[in-house]
Amino acid sequence: MRKYLTLLILLMLVVITAYNYLYQAHRNIETETPEFVVSSQSLFQQFAKNPSNSEIKYLNKTIDVSGVISEVNKQYLVLNDNIFCKLEKPHDLSNLAEDRILIRGRLIGYDDLLNEIKLDQCVILKQFN
Amino acid sequence: MKNLIIYFLLCFSCSLVSQNKYITKTGNINFEASVPAFEEVKAEHKIVTAILNSDNGEFAALALVKGFRFKNALMEEHFNENYAESDTYPKATFKGKIIDFDLSNLNLQASSFVIKGELTFHGKTIQFDNLDILISKNKDIISISGSFKTKAADFDIKIPKIVRSKIAKNIEVTFNYLLKRKLKFN
Repeated sequence: MRKYLTLLILLMLVVITAYNYLYQAHRNIETETPEFVVSSQSLFQQFAKNPSNSEIKYLNKTIDVSGVISEVNKQYLVLNDNIFCKLEKPHDLSNLAEDRILIRGRLIGYDDLLNEIKLDQCVILKQFN
Repeated sequence: MKNLIIYFLLCFSCSLVSQNKYITKTGNINFEASVPAFEEVKAEHKIVTAILNSDNGEFAALALVKGFRFKNALMEEHFNENYAESDTYPKATFKGKIIDFDLSNLNLQASSFVIKGELTFHGKTIQFDNLDILISKNKDIISISGSFKTKAADFDIKIPKIVRSKIAKNIEVTFNYLLKRKLKFN
């Protein structure tokens, strides 16, 4: 009897572990520690100078970027005309236009059609001034 | 003097470029390769860049592969690491031309057009000769949408045997762009 009980518990553990592995949660960028903290100018210059090395350095990484908002929308905002940040949750930010902010997001790559670096899952951490 | 001429030429050519571009930064691409009775294999991309030159119908789109989002986090991870290999091939691009494009013929009612061009994904390029698309126009916004079927093998992506029965052979791709007229181009 006891043997069956241990076997059953073991089986349940395996099933639960397998389930948690298969249906694991998405990354939560907001609560991750950023691997890099940079200004938008410095980030853009790194990509302009050496795009392939910068890609290796930053792709899929959580970063904090500071800059001045140059374009704002419910879905996204742009820092200094060259860092595109897709917001994790769409909301109205028109009152932030031209403000200096610190934003956290995941870098997904360099868009060479518009010369923009793209981040997704972004959240605004701080608003200066 | 020579520099001045070059400068003026540059300004002039920039102003030429700036005309009649329609742009979006939030285009949509979805793909689905679900098999009934198995978990859905489906992803959505909401931040595709697309540019249309309304003078000649030239169209370009770019999707950063890591921007494809799946419901299942593990599926997203496997897609990026094993199939799309998005660290090595971070971009999916399309470059092409809409045949007989004429801005003045567009209206609220969607009309069908044909686009031809090249799609690059996973380092492989495939050619489209006559892909049907729908285009409509509402004031300063042009809407372009369409769909096509493709196969993972077309892009040199190998699906392992164990999951082969859970991923449809024909992958249905749909796209939707709302392009806004851009007056200043930077």
